[in-house]
Amino acid sequence: MTDPDVVYAIRVRGHLDAHRGAWLGDLVVTHNGDGTSTLVGPIADQAELHGLLARLRDLGIPLIACAPARGN
Amino acid sequence: MAVLATKLHVPKPRPGLVARPRLRDRLDAPDVEAARLILVSAPAGSGKTTLLSQWFASRDATPRGSVAWVSVDGDDNDVRRFLAHVIAALRTTGADVGGDARAAMEAGGAAPVPFLLTSLVNDLDTVADPLVLVLDDYHEITAPEVHESLRFLLEHLPGRMRIAMTTRSDPPLPLARMRSTGAMVELRAADLRFTPDEAESLLNGVMGLGVSREHVDALGGRTEGWAAGLQLAALSIRGRADVGRFVDEFAGSHRFVLDYLIEEVLDRQPADVREFLLRTSVLGAMNASLCEAVTGRDDAREVLRALERDNVFVVALDDRREWWRYHHLFADTLRSRLRDADPGGTADLHRAAARWHAVRGALPEAIAHSAAAGDGERTADLVELALPGLRAHRRDDDIRRHVRALPDELVRARPLLAVFMAWSRLAEGDLDGVEAWLAETERRLAHPEDVDADLRTPLEAECAARDREIRQVPAMVAVYRACVAQARGDVPGTVAHARRALGLAGPDDHFPRGAAAGFLGLAAWASGDLPSAVDVFGEAVASLRAAGGIADALGATVVLADMWSGLGRPDESRRILERALHEAEGHPVPLSTTGDLHVALADVLREHGELTAAVAHMDAARDLGDAASLPENRHRLHLADAGILRARGDLGGALAAVDRAEAAYQPGFFPDRRPVPAVRARLRIAAGDLAAAEAWARTADIEVTDPPAHPAEFAQLTLARVRLAAYRAGAGSALNGVADMLDGIAAAAGAAGRTGSVIEARLLRALVLAAAGDDRAARETLAGALTAAVPAGHRRLFLDEGAPMEELLRRLVSAHHDEAAVARARRLLAAETPGDASSSTSGEGLSERELEVLRALATDLTGPQIAGRLYVSVNTLRTHSRHIFAKLGVNTRRAAVRRAAERGLL
Repeated sequence: MTDPDVVYAIRVRGHLDAHRGAWLGDLVVTHNGDGTSTLVGPIADQAELHGLLARLRDLGIPLIACAPARGN
Repeated sequence: MAVLATKLHVPKPRPGLVARPRLRDRLDAPDVEAARLILVSAPAGSGKTTLLSQWFASRDATPRGSVAWVSVDGDDNDVRRFLAHVIAALRTTGADVGGDARAAMEAGGAAPVPFLLTSLVNDLDTVADPLVLVLDDYHEITAPEVHESLRFLLEHLPGRMRIAMTTRSDPPLPLARMRSTGAMVELRAADLRFTPDEAESLLNGVMGLGVSREHVDALGGRTEGWAAGLQLAALSIRGRADVGRFVDEFAGSHRFVLDYLIEEVLDRQPADVREFLLRTSVLGAMNASLCEAVTGRDDAREVLRALERDNVFVVALDDRREWWRYHHLFADTLRSRLRDADPGGTADLHRAAARWHAVRGALPEAIAHSAAAGDGERTADLVELALPGLRAHRRDDDIRRHVRALPDELVRARPLLAVFMAWSRLAEGDLDGVEAWLAETERRLAHPEDVDADLRTPLEAECAARDREIRQVPAMVAVYRACVAQARGDVPGTVAHARRALGLAGPDDHFPRGAAAGFLGLAAWASGDLPSAVDVFGEAVASLRAAGGIADALGATVVLADMWSGLGRPDESRRILERALHEAEGHPVPLSTTGDLHVALADVLREHGELTAAVAHMDAARDLGDAASLPENRHRLHLADAGILRARGDLGGALAAVDRAEAAYQPGFFPDRRPVPAVRARLRIAAGDLAAAEAWARTADIEVTDPPAHPAEFAQLTLARVRLAAYRAGAGSALNGVADMLDGIAAAAGAAGRTGSVIEARLLRALVLAAAGDDRAARETLAGALTAAVPAGHRRLFLDEGAPMEELLRRLVSAHHDEAAVARARRLLAAETPGDASSSTSGEGLSERELEVLRALATDLTGPQIAGRLYVSVNTLRTHSRHIFAKLGVNTRRAAVRRAAERGLL
């Protein structure tokens, strides 16, 4: 179980357009210098997290890392 | 169950694909023949589906069996829907399989999944040709029951059949073990990645773009050989003079491949086509008419064909090219951009799509689009219109899903939806939650919402069904209240609500009529008025039948038969049970009450003295198992067992069976005609354990001086036997008051029409007279009891009394003046009826022919090969197999062979 609304940071390969973040949920997209993007936003629970990961999978977006954001 | 033909379409490879011989060779390798599962597991857009469609097309030249294709989607998480599509797909190959399973699902109700799977596997055994079942996009499945079904299919598939699966994530199967045993071959992301040569042949061979090798390698590197990326890159390059600049810019960018390239592709489309793509992206499956409804254009067919010609990610869903969808990667990106460009604009598009589907009767799609448009009232209208059809097919989960997706205040405002919520609470056993919803229902009944006029004309039948349900709501509210009252043991409340329901129900409202009559019949029985109970309950059975609830109607027959037995008419019980059982057995799948019918009939046959036939029905019930028996009826099986064992003289066995009956008994459903402790006391008397029987009488707290009362009748008649046994054992005063008690019971039961109790009281009265030495009066009384009892089929009721009764019957035969009475006594004294022996099943009961088939089933021969050897049709073989399975108590070929080996039949 995850506490309500933990902020997660999800790192993926490639620079995603900003509208992807809005479409996937209330996620803010940041582009990193190494060619990756970080999606940051509140995730209510495990079910929402798995749903989000499945949507990334369905878009063929390569997943690199997924962890609660620092400062939670 | 509705099957969508577009889900079964085997996609043809579109023109302009790269041949990938290395992958085709992998699929044609000899080890694939031995594998059960071909797993194609790779990310979205890797070309999984294309690979399989290319493979099958290449096989067409050299026929290697048939292909059954299922495009799996989220709705297939309903395991029955999943299996319905698997069966429909298999049947597209011409194979006559899954007929029974399909009939079972069409019969309504939740057909048991093990039955569906085993009958399907058995049918597949009769298919001679190799067959590949494709499950495309299996990652859509999350339901454990569907994974279970897949595992069962993989384990039991005949050797000529394989499953090919495409998925974006590995399925929960023991993949490591399957890999090491060769049960699976797999192609993964690394295999599907385009090699530099394949990229070259796509860009330059197929698309003819004339890209330099250096640029080909740069594109391959930037997309990492991802099929969707290369395809989009090719579209972006087409018609471009400055290929080098495009490749350099693309390669130098970090932007996500899909985002970069889809923007490129969209930018290169004319503005009106770009608009078309964005607006239609809200659709799933689309045809020209639907696209025109959401875009306002009138040339959608031409646009769609042009998009296909230009390889712009439209996928044809049928061979006639009427239905299409976008490649999901493309659709998802379009939707994301559409929302970004015009956040509020999608509602109008969904609204148009909802209307288009609604007027064509496609209610599930209409509901989904209407909800996406945020139109609550309209969505609630559509859910109400969908409800009768879904209920008729017992798709209760679908209704629940639709209703729960609606805002709470909308559900409360609509009687039809609120009363559904009440039923839903009842089904969950939440009695307290029911009344709140019923009150809400009644509060709103005066002002039911009307369906919008624009839906009335195109959906006339749906509107009529919905209006009929709304008319029935007041009666159903009363039925549910009766239901709650009965569950709480409140008999006056049950009767009051049931009467009210009958008053409110119209003549054609069969379901509320049947349910209400059922409650009234049970209440009449509980109060001892059996003749009324039989009348009213008989009406209930007829109404339930008229309402289409065959399982309900046949199940109620078990209760009705119980009532007829109380009326002293086992012959009538037998008649209605045999008729019901005949009907139940005509059903393709065992009903939830078929086993209960077998048990009830066995018990009546036991009373007739036809013990062998009774045992056969008990065996049939046991073979069907719990799935064919309602929980409230399970104890009947053990009581019937006890009766049969007692008739055979096995009193220890009978006592053990009574213990099992006690453990399985669920109080509160029906009046308890034969309470288990009293049944046990009767067995103890027969076993000579007088002390235990007397202990029962003390615990039960009944006296011979108690006034006759219906619920206690069985116990009082048991007490009479305890006293008789005590008297015979030497207790001189034991019979004091017993004669009066029996006369009182006979009078009271006679006045209320409970002839069964009258007969029993009289036969005991005769035994009391005989014990006291008044032989003449004993014979007269017994002769009176026989008059009604013997023609009605009573037998064990008398013979279970043992030696004293047999002696009295013999004296009646030798000394009585009444010829008819003598004949009746002779019938009871005769051995088991001669007709009985013929219905016996000796040993396993397999005929010679069936043994022959069984031995063939133990070989590796396929169904058609066996049929050929035995000179019978495949259908005849299937009938033989089914009989063999039934007799061995198994349901697959494999289990039959194992069981036969165990029993030395091979």
